[in-house]
Amino acid sequence: MLDESFMGLLRPHLRFVGATGLDDGSRLRDLGLDSMHAVELLFAIEDAYGLEIPDDLLNDETFETAGSLWEVVSGLCEAAGRSAP
Amino acid sequence: MRPAESRPDFNTLDEVLGEVRAHADRLDETAGFPLEALESLRKGGWLGLLAPIRYGGLGGRVQDVLTVAQRLAREDLSVGLIFVMHSQQLAALAHCASGPAARDLLAHVVGNRQYVASVTTAPTTGSNLLTADSDLTVDNDRLVIDRVAPIVTGVEHADGFLIATRAPQALSETEVCMVYADRQDLDVAVTGDWQPLGMRACRSPGARLRGSVPRTHVLAERQAHRRLITQLFAPMAHLSWSACWLGAAAGAFERTVRYLRSRDGRSRHDVTGELLLSRLGRVRGRLEMVNAHLHHAADVFERYPDQLGSAPAQSMFNALKVTAAEQCSAAVDELVDIVGLKAGYFRGSPVQLERSVRDLRAASLTYSNDRLLVATGRLALLDREVRLA
Repeated sequence: MLDESFMGLLRPHLRFVGATGLDDGSRLRDLGLDSMHAVELLFAIEDAYGLEIPDDLLNDETFETAGSLWEVVSGLCEAAGRSAP
Repeated sequence: MRPAESRPDFNTLDEVLGEVRAHADRLDETAGFPLEALESLRKGGWLGLLAPIRYGGLGGRVQDVLTVAQRLAREDLSVGLIFVMHSQQLAALAHCASGPAARDLLAHVVGNRQYVASVTTAPTTGSNLLTADSDLTVDNDRLVIDRVAPIVTGVEHADGFLIATRAPQALSETEVCMVYADRQDLDVAVTGDWQPLGMRACRSPGARLRGSVPRTHVLAERQAHRRLITQLFAPMAHLSWSACWLGAAAGAFERTVRYLRSRDGRSRHDVTGELLLSRLGRVRGRLEMVNAHLHHAADVFERYPDQLGSAPAQSMFNALKVTAAEQCSAAVDELVDIVGLKAGYFRGSPVQLERSVRDLRAASLTYSNDRLLVATGRLALLDREVRLA
């Protein structure tokens, strides 16, 4: 389940998100996440959560949907012994 | 699993890499030899990487040497080059181990985990391995060596030496051989100092080596020596030096990207700006070019050992060396432009490009690109059909 702060990080990078809202199944590319926005979103996530997403997880699957990206982020937070904010 | 099928365990290399990393800055400062790294390589059996398992080696292939070389050179280019030069001596010993005496010699060197240095430079012939100006005098069943060399990497710490010299009873400078000598059979006098711009841990002062060895310590002489050089020594040198340079440049690129990705880097640079991105892209392309050439050359080396002396193969290996030296050097130079003066040019910066620039400056000078291009040009005249290896 996506939390509000994570959705707040995503929104500025999704040009077409409009009023439809975000959920786990939201396809990030369809909502306007191009490769440059993906890099900027990555920096925003790493800064906000104080983590580094390993290179081998920086792939199309991770950035497929809001849910797939959240799964990676929350998993890394848990592995670091922090509860996802 | 049969021993012949076992593979070197690259996970055990981490301990060596830790030693290399821990001492790299100090050795660059003092121009000292990386003794800790050497001992760690020895302890892990890596000095015998290329030797068959039945001799106590790891049974590795040339591809494995290139892998280890790249990983070492990411931490310290000098250590990578020391390792590959030793591996090249070992490859020559293994290549020539056909008779019982030569097999005993290989078992002795590998079993005792000896570090073998090469003595291939000469005051008048440079590093041309097909001519020699120093005699090997016959004295009953022994051969007397009196060899002066302006550059001998690791001369103060080597357990043995592979020495290029005139063949026994040679009448001309082109009758050459390669002879092995244990340190205990030689009086080794170090001549001169070692204070280079870069590659400072690759401590290579001049030396005079005098002593005698059994006649059976001649690996290959005259025609056999020529074949050893053209079919093993030269291509392996070009492969392994190129792997080291690629490792050094890849390490510099890794440190640069990590820095740019950090908060500090992003606060100082327009990391998503097109100028920076296109420069990163070009540097990556340089590394990809060398990596592709290196893989192709390693494949040719392993699959077509009988054709390595041909003009197309020699041209391809020469081109690898020149390309790797030029591109790896240019890559690191461009990284300095990307990160700028503070992170890129100063000693003590976490990106450590300053040392990489100095180290890689030696690449075009090591077996000089100019000389190699002339040789490749000469080969081009012998290959009208332009057969690409």
